Amino acid sequence: MQFALPPRRSPHPLPLSRSSRMSSYRRKQLKSVAVLAFAILSLIYLLHYLYSSGSTSIAAPAGTTGVVLVTLLDRRRFSESYLKKIIANREDYAKRHGYTNFFASVSDYDEAVGDAPMSWAVAPATRHAMATHPRSAYFFHLAANALIMNPTKSLKSHILEKGRLEDLMLKDVPVVPPDSIIKTFAHQKENDVDLIITQDGEDLNPGSFILKNGEFARFFLDIWFDPLYRNFNFGKAETHGLDHIMQWHPTVLARTALVPQRILGSYSHDSPGASLDGTYKDGDLVIQFRGCEDTEGRDCAHELEPYYKLWEKKAQSD
Amino acid sequence: MTLSRSPSPRAGGGWSSPGLIPASGTTSPRGASPGSLSPGTPTGISWAAAKAKSDEVRGYPSFQTRNSGFFSRQRHKISTRFHSFRRPSSREYVDKDDYGRDWKSSGGGRGLICGLRTPIRRGRFRLLLALLLVWIGCLFCWPTIVQTYRRSPIGGGSKFVIILGSNVEGGVMEWKGAREWAVERNSIWNKKRYAKKWGYELELANLLAKKRYSHEWRESWEKGDVIREAMRKYPDAEWFWWLDLNTWVMEYDTSLQHHLFNDLESHVYRDITANNPLNITHPLPEFWLDELGRSLEGDGKADSLNMLLTQDCDGFNLGSFFLRRSLWTDRLLDAWWDPVMYEQMHMKWEHKEQDALEYIYQSQPWVRSSVGFLPQRSINAYPPGACDDGDDSVVHYQQDAHDLIVNMAGCMFGRDCWSEIYHYRELSNWLARSSWERFRHGLGDVYDRVTGKPKDD
Repeated sequence: MQFALPPRRSPHPLPLSRSSRMSSYRRKQLKSVAVLAFAILSLIYLLHYLYSSGSTSIAAPAGTTGVVLVTLLDRRRFSESYLKKIIANREDYAKRHGYTNFFASVSDYDEAVGDAPMSWAVAPATRHAMATHPRSAYFFHLAANALIMNPTKSLKSHILEKGRLEDLMLKDVPVVPPDSIIKTFAHQKENDVDLIITQDGEDLNPGSFILKNGEFARFFLDIWFDPLYRNFNFGKAETHGLDHIMQWHPTVLARTALVPQRILGSYSHDSPGASLDGTYKDGDLVIQFRGCEDTEGRDCAHELEPYYKLWEKKAQSD
Repeated sequence: MTLSRSPSPRAGGGWSSPGLIPASGTTSPRGASPGSLSPGTPTGISWAAAKAKSDEVRGYPSFQTRNSGFFSRQRHKISTRFHSFRRPSSREYVDKDDYGRDWKSSGGGRGLICGLRTPIRRGRFRLLLALLLVWIGCLFCWPTIVQTYRRSPIGGGSKFVIILGSNVEGGVMEWKGAREWAVERNSIWNKKRYAKKWGYELELANLLAKKRYSHEWRESWEKGDVIREAMRKYPDAEWFWWLDLNTWVMEYDTSLQHHLFNDLESHVYRDITANNPLNITHPLPEFWLDELGRSLEGDGKADSLNMLLTQDCDGFNLGSFFLRRSLWTDRLLDAWWDPVMYEQMHMKWEHKEQDALEYIYQSQPWVRSSVGFLPQRSINAYPPGACDDGDDSVVHYQQDAHDLIVNMAGCMFGRDCWSEIYHYRELSNWLARSSWERFRHGLGDVYDRVTGKPKDD
């Protein structure tokens, strides 16, 4: 029995009061010990938490600002006068918004690309821009067959502003149109995005994308440019290479946002394969003369001319 | 004895806590059976104490100043217990959960208690009792305490997971004989013992021949999936150590923290030119890469190391390697297998994922800065004959250096895995013999020398 003997109520109050005093003293002692132990334990936990969290988090591109416009100039495909116009177009845009221009010549990457089509040069060129401007936050690659048509629209207000991308992102849509079984993540958040790209009616469009500086950018460009992809004879070279890694490598897809085509790369009327609402309308940021450089019967300079005049007028009026 | 009311202090009956009365479970709490109450005590239950007890159980906030503190209650209980020392009747209740029970019943203790009857000495008696309890605790609980500590976040053991690739092929391609089973059993036992000692997690990967991996493009690519699964299963772990089945941990007393991770930078070399059997171009010369991509030593910080592996005489070896949980590792495991690459290379990549890793290390600059190489013997020593026929002390196990682990690499090709494992099992047991055995061995040696007996090995 637990209470083997009843406690005898002593007729003398003295021992009882004494014991209660003792207990209160002890209680105080116990309390202080408990508080101290608790404090030490929580301190240890806090330190441990601080240390362990440091090892797994990835460094955001801290201390990087600004945008670099990456343009690849292929002097073997485009005439000098055409390229001059493209350069003027980019320089005007960069000056307006305080961006930096990075012009690269495709022939510089001959050795890197090797036997593969020279359109692969976009990957090392963007990597080169990142190496040259390590303190810049965003790299906007725009192919030489594209013209910026809305010079007053900054990339920030257009896409990069907080909350803006959240509205633009296409979630749970096939990565490669029209019916790839791999779809963009439905629960993706704006903060998880390192690559912003569009798709036309058939493929992703590497002619126009925005890449955030950082570890992902290095990883993405390196895996895209892997020699075994270049040697695989993809029908559309780097475009199909991009389609491939986007569908097979979830770590790439998880950091990628697809936006509607007209946000970053509207096609001209002459360019085939635009998405449903992908052809240029007045006010779009960019017009792309997709395929004008290597399609029989098309002439980039000729196609550019009317739009260039339009742009010149706009640029002067603002 | 019948009670006019239920002895339970609770309204509606029921004991405050089951198991506190003798023969609880045999008596129903409502119908108090007379036998369950101790005879000779007319008021078998102290009402005040029971009320205090029930207060404690119910956890109502108490504003009493008297007799409500933990110590004062315990004091009362302890002092009632002392009565039992004085008149130990055979019918008295003995608390089975009491630590002091054995001690009480021991004959030697009684005389001691008689001497301590006076209240003045109670303090000393309690001190003695406490010391004794601590001593018993030390004897029985010390290994448990040490293990619990090592497993805890402070001890750091839970940061490591050992993944042991077992049941390779599951006996599908070749019949698993007694030797294969023996290898498996022993190797698992060996890793279990090591993991338990240091509080590491051990994950046994069942590498059955699955249909998913049987396609010619995907043979033996389970490694990546298994590691990913382990990372999901142990969300708090940081380092994942892959071990092939044909390995043997030789030194149970060497922890991974002490062996490598407390001072990782000093053990690791990132400049592959220091030992470059594959003749990999390093650092990369490409002008369009950034400084990190072209650097000899990556960024030089231990934090950026996400993979640790060794090279044998033919290049990378994945019999024993570490991966750290990180974004980099996710990307590596993702990039490691790719259908377009494998379609082109599966005839050339004889060692599958090992060759594929060598390839992406060479072709993709982002990989390099996070890969650290360890001297081979630190986590992947080979038995003689596993690497060429030479006896290179860089590659092969050195008993005097107490290498942590032996990997019987390639033992299934013309060598005998089980006899090698058995040899190293016996050797490690001999190396880990206790100091008493060492002393005995030493004594034996001296005796032999004195008596002039020839030493037999």
